[in-house]
Amino acid sequence: MSLQLDQISAGYGKAHVLSDISLTVTPGRICALMGRNGSGKTTLLRTINGVIPLSGGSIRLMGRDIKTLRRPQIARLVSVVPQVSFTPFSFSCLDMVLMSGVSRIKAWQSPSAREKKTALSVMTETGIRHLAHRPFNALSGGERQLVMLSRGLFQESPVMLLDEPNTHLDFTNQHHIMSLMKTLVKKRGLTVLITLHDPNLAHYYCDDVILIKHGCVLAQGPTAATMTDDVLLAVLGGNIRTDTTQSGMFVVTPRHVDHQAIAGTAPGKQEINP
Amino acid sequence: MKKETAIILIIPLAAFACLCTGRYPIDPGQVFPLLLSGIGALSGPETGVSWPEYELPRELVMIFWNIRIPRIVMSIMVGAGISTAGAVFQALFRNPLAAPDILGVTAGSCFGAALAIMFLVPLAWIIQSSAFIFGIIAVSLAYILASWSKDHSPSVLVISGIVISALFQAGLSFIMYLANPYDQLAQIVFWTMGSFHTASWTKIQITAPILISGILLVSLFSWRLNIMTQNEEDALSMGIDVFKWRVFYVVISTLMVACSVAAVGTVAWIGLIVPHIARYLTGSEHRRLIPATAVLGGLFLLIMDSVARSILMSEIPISIVTSIFGAPFLAYLVIRSGSGKMRHEPAA
Repeated sequence: MSLQLDQISAGYGKAHVLSDISLTVTPGRICALMGRNGSGKTTLLRTINGVIPLSGGSIRLMGRDIKTLRRPQIARLVSVVPQVSFTPFSFSCLDMVLMSGVSRIKAWQSPSAREKKTALSVMTETGIRHLAHRPFNALSGGERQLVMLSRGLFQESPVMLLDEPNTHLDFTNQHHIMSLMKTLVKKRGLTVLITLHDPNLAHYYCDDVILIKHGCVLAQGPTAATMTDDVLLAVLGGNIRTDTTQSGMFVVTPRHVDHQAIAGTAPGKQEINP
Repeated sequence: MKKETAIILIIPLAAFACLCTGRYPIDPGQVFPLLLSGIGALSGPETGVSWPEYELPRELVMIFWNIRIPRIVMSIMVGAGISTAGAVFQALFRNPLAAPDILGVTAGSCFGAALAIMFLVPLAWIIQSSAFIFGIIAVSLAYILASWSKDHSPSVLVISGIVISALFQAGLSFIMYLANPYDQLAQIVFWTMGSFHTASWTKIQITAPILISGILLVSLFSWRLNIMTQNEEDALSMGIDVFKWRVFYVVISTLMVACSVAAVGTVAWIGLIVPHIARYLTGSEHRRLIPATAVLGGLFLLIMDSVARSILMSEIPISIVTSIFGAPFLAYLVIRSGSGKMRHEPAA
């Protein structure tokens, strides 16, 4: 297995955010990680990436224990696609993508002409070759997310973690990114763990799903079989159910949309961890 | 590429022009024989030199070789060093407004110099060493203070730097308050505003190794600075040990700034402004930005120092000149460049 977590626990300081999490992710499949705000999704990604130390259990990347690996070695095994943001200085998109090649070159080197060619071919794959020399900060959110995705791919690591890649994207771009991921994963045999908030996206594009609550895994397995009404209710809150549209499409919708309920779920009044 | 070659060609031209200007003007035709005299007469430029067309008086050779040339060499080196350190700090702190003194090196060095002038033997080399050592102590203290926090982000380091700077600044003010206004105070004040009038071959021998090797090291490891400008966690996940490399870059930059301040006093503004001018010419990519910053910094300070020594009858402290010319120039760049180029963070 390319990514294997065995009874891990981790957190910030003394507070445990994750406890006793075990999971495996298989190559060539996209695995969605779902849970409510504060359930520990991002913490889990950071722990797999070796940014937060483990307080128990073990993480194996391509069969190697993460505790024995140094930073550049971890980078050769895992890449991370963060949520889109801006950079403090104006870099071209090609420069942004090239950065993730750092673990392959010596400290005093800069990317060779061959690396640049590879980076450009990755950008062709993600459909943003024409943006290579444009300033990153001048692009739209969707374009910037594709640059970050290209950067993750250019790192050429077998495991890829994506942290809510759809957060700032419009409807069409959300589906574009997800279907692009699906193609790339099949083509490159990547192992992908992706945190998502939209259960529909998880259902349409992800092979497996892991649902966590309060830092514990409540359910995991193939998406279609795992995302049942009972599981969704338990993990994502009370106001949710699965349905089928007239055209036969699976959807996850709220149970009821009345204004009382919406006022009740407003931030502040909301019971975050019921 | 054309811009870069143009800049590199401007340096010798500017140096030539600056060799001629000054309170003791030198005829441009004399520069060449004077240069040859220094190389040819290895026994020392103390003897006058005769050249077919010129009779070069001894004092002219003296001024040229022992005052003007060291001054020009020193201003180019210090300009290049401080500007490079500025570009590094802006990258490390992900902030285009960061200056090399942000961790307290300048305040520490000035305090060290004042302390030596006031309480130690006021010999040049003692003042210089004290300034250098206190500059490094200040940055080390800022680092230690920041390491007590659980948050290892650069903003905590900046705040520690501000705290340490304030303390050394207070110490400096206290020494100035105690100082004898007729000699010590004037000396300290001149130090806090900087000047190249004490430039000499001896000082160059001490500062050149640190400044030149510092600039070369930063240039060699310049591509990684691109990644240091990224969010810490992104940089970590790309495979850089951010904390280790931050120490590496801070140590080199601090050594460069401390030895510059120890040699010539505070030089305001250029560490902040020159990287901006360079970025305007070459873009933000650090493998091109760092050499451009070093070259432009040398050129800029060379011109500023020539202004400082020739515009009035008496010498003007260098920081006054760099501020008067530097600040409006930055304003000009910001206004002229309009949208995009200077925009580091997007408008909301």
